Amino acid sequence: MPMDQAWLLIAVPAVTFVLVALLNPVLPRRGDLIVVLALASVVLMGLGIIADFTGYFRGGLFTPEGANVFGFDWINIGQGLFVIQFDTYVDGITVVMISVVSIVALMVAVYSMSYMHGEPRYGWYFALLSLFATAMLALVLSGNLLLLYFAWEGVGLASFLLIGFYWERQSAAEAAKKAFITTRIGDVGLLIGIVLLWRQAGTFNIQEIINFAEAGGFSNTYLTVAMLFLFAGAVGKSAQFPLHVWLPDAMEGPTPVSALIHAATMVVAGVYLVARMMPVFDLVPVARDYVLYTGLVTAVMAATQGLVTSDIKRVLAFSTVSQLGFMFVALGLGNVTAAMFHLFTHAFFKALLFLGSGSVIHATHHQEVDQLGGLRHKMPITTATFIIGSMALAGVIPLAGFWSKDEILHAAMTDGPLPVYLLLAGSAVLTAIYTTRLVLLTFFGEPKDHHAYEHAHESPALITGPLVILATLATVSGFVVFSSVGRMLGFPGGIGEVVFTHEPHAFVFDIVFAGTAVASALAGIGIGIAYWKGDAMRAVRARQWAPELHALLVNRYYLDDLYQAVIDRVVLGLGNVVALFDKRVVNESGVDGGAQTVSWFGMRLKFLQTGRIPNYALAMAVGVVVLAVMALQSA
Amino acid sequence: MGGAVVLNRLPLPAQLDRTVTTGGLLAGAIVTPPLIALIVLRVLGNISSAQMVWWMLAGVIVAGALGAVTLRNVVHSALALIAAAMGLAGMFLLLASEFLALVQVLVYGGGVAILLMFGLMLTNATEDPVVIDGSQKPFAAGVGLILGVALTAAMLSANWDASISTVVDFRDLGARLYRDFGVPFEVASLVLLVALVGAVAISRRDNDDDNDAEAAS
Amino acid sequence: MIPLEYYLVLSGILFALGFYGVLARRSAILILIAVELMLAAVSLNFVAFASYMDAELFTGVIFAIFVITIAAAEVGLALGIVLRIFRERRSANVDEASSLKW
Repeated sequence: MPMDQAWLLIAVPAVTFVLVALLNPVLPRRGDLIVVLALASVVLMGLGIIADFTGYFRGGLFTPEGANVFGFDWINIGQGLFVIQFDTYVDGITVVMISVVSIVALMVAVYSMSYMHGEPRYGWYFALLSLFATAMLALVLSGNLLLLYFAWEGVGLASFLLIGFYWERQSAAEAAKKAFITTRIGDVGLLIGIVLLWRQAGTFNIQEIINFAEAGGFSNTYLTVAMLFLFAGAVGKSAQFPLHVWLPDAMEGPTPVSALIHAATMVVAGVYLVARMMPVFDLVPVARDYVLYTGLVTAVMAATQGLVTSDIKRVLAFSTVSQLGFMFVALGLGNVTAAMFHLFTHAFFKALLFLGSGSVIHATHHQEVDQLGGLRHKMPITTATFIIGSMALAGVIPLAGFWSKDEILHAAMTDGPLPVYLLLAGSAVLTAIYTTRLVLLTFFGEPKDHHAYEHAHESPALITGPLVILATLATVSGFVVFSSVGRMLGFPGGIGEVVFTHEPHAFVFDIVFAGTAVASALAGIGIGIAYWKGDAMRAVRARQWAPELHALLVNRYYLDDLYQAVIDRVVLGLGNVVALFDKRVVNESGVDGGAQTVSWFGMRLKFLQTGRIPNYALAMAVGVVVLAVMALQSA
Repeated sequence: MGGAVVLNRLPLPAQLDRTVTTGGLLAGAIVTPPLIALIVLRVLGNISSAQMVWWMLAGVIVAGALGAVTLRNVVHSALALIAAAMGLAGMFLLLASEFLALVQVLVYGGGVAILLMFGLMLTNATEDPVVIDGSQKPFAAGVGLILGVALTAAMLSANWDASISTVVDFRDLGARLYRDFGVPFEVASLVLLVALVGAVAISRRDNDDDNDAEAAS
Repeated sequence: MIPLEYYLVLSGILFALGFYGVLARRSAILILIAVELMLAAVSLNFVAFASYMDAELFTGVIFAIFVITIAAAEVGLALGIVLRIFRERRSANVDEASSLKW
């Protein structure tokens, strides 16, 4: 499929959403097959676009430069005075995002057919999956910032609806609200940033803005402020410090949704945005450094919290936050290739881990690791795929996570200051440790809840199928870094030749460096095994070993409490003042006063209404005569 | 002999109703001088025949209209309206629209007059003739006067480029009515039908209402 | 030859008289009679203009026919309503139909 038909990727799930949302009660199987077929067609069309992008249809002529390939006037004010186009834009970054979004969405949809079976609002769930796919594809295909913002809010809406899918549960409703409001804080920043850019450049088109910025159209301070506002949107959506608090709570949604939205696709929208605007970030080092340190703080912070969390999905959520921090570190160093590469591999192995945890939850109806254990006997496929995903996350050669994390660490060592590298490497080791802990406590050791253990069983093929496919991808997707693999797929030079902003990034395989990385990953796994092997009580003992530290981590650095306190004191205090003003001045004087005035006059003027039709007729007649006389005088 | 029979059959003045006699004499006294004046003017050649007829008809119309809106007895009022309508029919003849004159006589002299009479009888309106005029009569007179003056002034102030009137042929009228105004004609017939059905539906005696009324009384 | 203004002034006077009647009368049937006068004034106006200024098309005459038609329909319907009101209230006095107030 040629690139200029990329809008179909947005249109197909959009139509599916409307169809399934409205008609799901009468469709066979509540329309889930329609959604799966639509997403499968999106995967195929995405592959077509990639083939076209790599020059397959043009005699192998590979042109990594993107193009504004399709557009029509979206908003047209004053006959061309102010036009915003609905245009799609395809380049290396887009291609990576399309493949991630379409494949993971299809896997999740297939998985959900079994996982969500028998749920109330089954059809609505699949409609929401379509809605999310629509918005996410629009987000990554958009060629202008306004359409991007529109899609950005669209994925936020889909995320809100899916986190609160079990809205009967108080915690789910609260979590949905928290996620929406927290990301909204960032979204406002994004909107301000977009408006600031538009105000100077006079266009929403991303490439035109980049050209304008590179031509020196913005003053340095102005651009820094604008890009920091833009980055605020990325911070909210990608759950970076200090707006990361919503993502662990977002695990209240159905597990496949966590895999799709809160691990693989929506949360990387911020990474995508910064990568897309990277040429502009390159012009303002201050903003770029801010990206770097935000990512670093988040990576370290979330990794430490992952060590102590007992909910299997929340461990993965903290891991996601941490890995997103890695990506932002890479972006902060200006290395788009490494960030997008890590995004690409991370999507697959993190989706795999989430779907695996979903399989566990499906089998045992528990998601606290304190109550799991020994499941490897009961669920061999889930265990095997989960271990593959974990090792990919920990960064064991030759799994996907190794290659991308290695790229980021290498970039940190060569381009960044030494403390950045050390902290990042430290959190990579922490990643390995908490991943090992999760695997050990879930699948090894003695079962802690025997009742659940007895009833556990391997999940059906609709669940294990996507797990196996994703495990395969988590194994091989790292190889696209090699030139030879890239040449086979149609883009010689590997991912570094596809995804770049200034010049192609050559992949360097440094034996010593890679060896260090693998060794540290293995060391982390070793520490984890040594500590937690077969002993569930270790978790309790860790609490006794350093109670203050443990409490700090379990309470998520007291950030939620801090936010709550700020809201309680400052926001509610201000709210009370405003409410008092509203009650006394607006309501009692303004509204009631006006009403009483009207009522007072009404009581006295009502006697004008005699109810006698002749009186009304006379009044009307007088009016007519007066008008007639006036008309005569003017004539 | 024949003349004697006719004379015998005439009512004697004593047998005539006093009101009728008085009214007839009064009307004759009012109407005769203008009539004589008109005839004299015609004979002297100051006005044409058409103008003489016009003045007569105008007198009938205005007198009828005045009677219709001022007489206390509602039956007299209705009769005055019919007189005005007949005068108007004559006016239409003068304006060379024979068809319209015929329609006016048929509809007003026949239908509307009978309808009004029935209405008067059914509502016993004759029984309380004293309170026929409302309390806002002076205001109404003022407003009506101002409106009349304004209309007259408007009619006279404009400069009408009027040519002579022509006779409207029956054949042309029919062609125009059914060819060019076919749709409005059909709509008008529909309006008549709806009005007929509506009048029946509204004024129909409901059995339930009757029962209630009887039960109440 | 009668000037057009004769007819116009006559119709104006007729209209004003009907107008007065509508406002001054208290009985619904008398109001109806006054309305008929106003309608007659209008059709006289129409026919006068048609004869003097529109001799080929005489649209005014057509309109007068419609006016008479509608007037007949209106009288029938209005008398039905008057009868109904009279039956409900034992009076055709419009002053007493005064429920349209506070």
